[in-house]
Amino acid sequence: MKLQINNKAYDVEADGDTPLLWVIRDELGMTGTKYGCGLAQCGACSVLVDGMVMRSCVTPVESVAGRSITTIEAIEEDEVGKRVVEAWVKHQVPQCGYCQSGQVIAATALLKQTAHPTDEDVMAAMANLCRCGTYNAISAAVRDLAEEEGAQ
Amino acid sequence: MRKLLFILLPVIAIAGAGVAWFVTRMPASPFDDAAPDETPSAEVLAHGEYVARLADCVACHSTPESAPFAGGLEMATPLGSIYATNITPDPETGIGGYSLADFDRAVRKGVGRDGHRFYPAMPYPSYAKLTDDDVRALYAYFMHGVEPARAENRKSDIPWPLNLRWPIAFWSAAFSQSGVYEEKAGQDELWNRGAYIVQGPGHCGSCHTPRGLAIQEKALDEGSNLYLSGAVLDGWFAPSLRGDHNIGLGRWSEEEIFEFLKTGRNEHAVVFGSMADAFNNSTQFMTDEDLKAIAHYLKSLPGNPEKDGAPWAYDPSSNEALAFGKLGETPGAQTYVAKCGFCHGADGRGQGRWIPSLAGSASSLAPDSVSSINVTLNGSARIVADGVPDSYRMPPFRNQLSDQEIADVLSFIRTGWGNSGGAVSADDVKKLRDRTDPARSEVIVLQMR
Repeated sequence: MKLQINNKAYDVEADGDTPLLWVIRDELGMTGTKYGCGLAQCGACSVLVDGMVMRSCVTPVESVAGRSITTIEAIEEDEVGKRVVEAWVKHQVPQCGYCQSGQVIAATALLKQTAHPTDEDVMAAMANLCRCGTYNAISAAVRDLAEEEGAQ
Repeated sequence: MRKLLFILLPVIAIAGAGVAWFVTRMPASPFDDAAPDETPSAEVLAHGEYVARLADCVACHSTPESAPFAGGLEMATPLGSIYATNITPDPETGIGGYSLADFDRAVRKGVGRDGHRFYPAMPYPSYAKLTDDDVRALYAYFMHGVEPARAENRKSDIPWPLNLRWPIAFWSAAFSQSGVYEEKAGQDELWNRGAYIVQGPGHCGSCHTPRGLAIQEKALDEGSNLYLSGAVLDGWFAPSLRGDHNIGLGRWSEEEIFEFLKTGRNEHAVVFGSMADAFNNSTQFMTDEDLKAIAHYLKSLPGNPEKDGAPWAYDPSSNEALAFGKLGETPGAQTYVAKCGFCHGADGRGQGRWIPSLAGSASSLAPDSVSSINVTLNGSARIVADGVPDSYRMPPFRNQLSDQEIADVLSFIRTGWGNSGGAVSADDVKKLRDRTDPARSEVIVLQMR
């Protein structure tokens, strides 16, 4: 099976029903994407597929063959992703950091779809869990990004 | 007056004696004069084990903690709980003392060795159709292939006089067509084999056929169009297995039915609710030939378009409500995006055969919303195919979403994408939440509604 991850082509051997997360982490060794709950509940495993956020722990790898996958490793190659990371640094969002790759992916997907999201949009899109409780910092960073003049 | 009494008394006495005879009599078995039990061949044992798989005996006659077939599973009825019995060959607490004829009467007639009548929680109206060969092999398996386990049977919690068993004899006479399955002329071998498994050992109708006031299945074979036409049981909606386009198998091919029973999933659906047990313990162990036969038979049952309603077709316009900027406008849309869409898709169409589509699913089209609510509150059971647990499971949302949030998101799902199941109220959710609370002591198994 051929996968397109971070603009590179990979040939993977996993069975078609293997969750994408385990292909990325175990077979391809990219460990920035985290395992949290395995049930699409926490968001730690989020990646972008064709610009949309997907929970890789519940995504059968065969369903994303041939589509464009972006993981945290390459998020700064994306213009929106780069701005998100900058805002994260500015607001010093992470504490332990385990959930943060998923948080950054979720924020990037949101802002790629709508440059000026409403509060409902933010609540629906930023549903990732954070054990350290960095929600206030995340909220401040996303609000900053949503209000940026240059954003389109 | 006295004269009348003299005439009436003997009549009453005779009638009473007749009733007493009828309700306690031991029905005849073709094995009454069978030779005593001999050690069966390996082939017979394997055959018997296979029949036990077809009949899914283990699902009810075991608990997760018990030895296999040692009984103990609690089944709540509106009158009180009853408990499945020990059917291991333990001589004191199990069925070790049963002769083949005793065993036959229990399985096909619902009568115990001491003459007591079984509650029809034991699907003997279906098992009545088992062939003599299958019963003989099943007996051999239970006597020689199952480990004896000492476990006392637990008395039912049903109070006197409702716990008297003899009136069940009348129930059986009225609702149990005794008689081995007879091959239907004009149908091929595959069809007849499928009909035999579905109606007999598979007892599919126990869940999928609607029940009448006396909790009897309204039909036991394809002679009635109510047979396998879908029913609500145990807090789940068991879909129609007939050709109904919306709530049945109308859109499924024989190959897809085969795939579903063999692997637990296909492009249309994934097993959940009570069917997860039936898959984990029974259908996946059936031979390919038998599964094909079942699929072939089921596809011969016509749907009922009048009851089924306008045929479902996918309507993409619901996706507009899920776009950023619009999420606040439709109740449930925000919850869908945050909680459901990652698995079931931003378009409600799931992910291939791994995660089921909500658009066009039987649960989303069924007028009774009980399956939609139950699976949202309590999640789905793990599917173990070929010894391997699957990677994709519905988590329970009982502790994450309020009654109103669940009602809103299910209303969105059941009225979106062309679905016609209809809205769900917070009250519907609350009722099922209370009934299925794992912290509650009253289990809802077998609660017929």
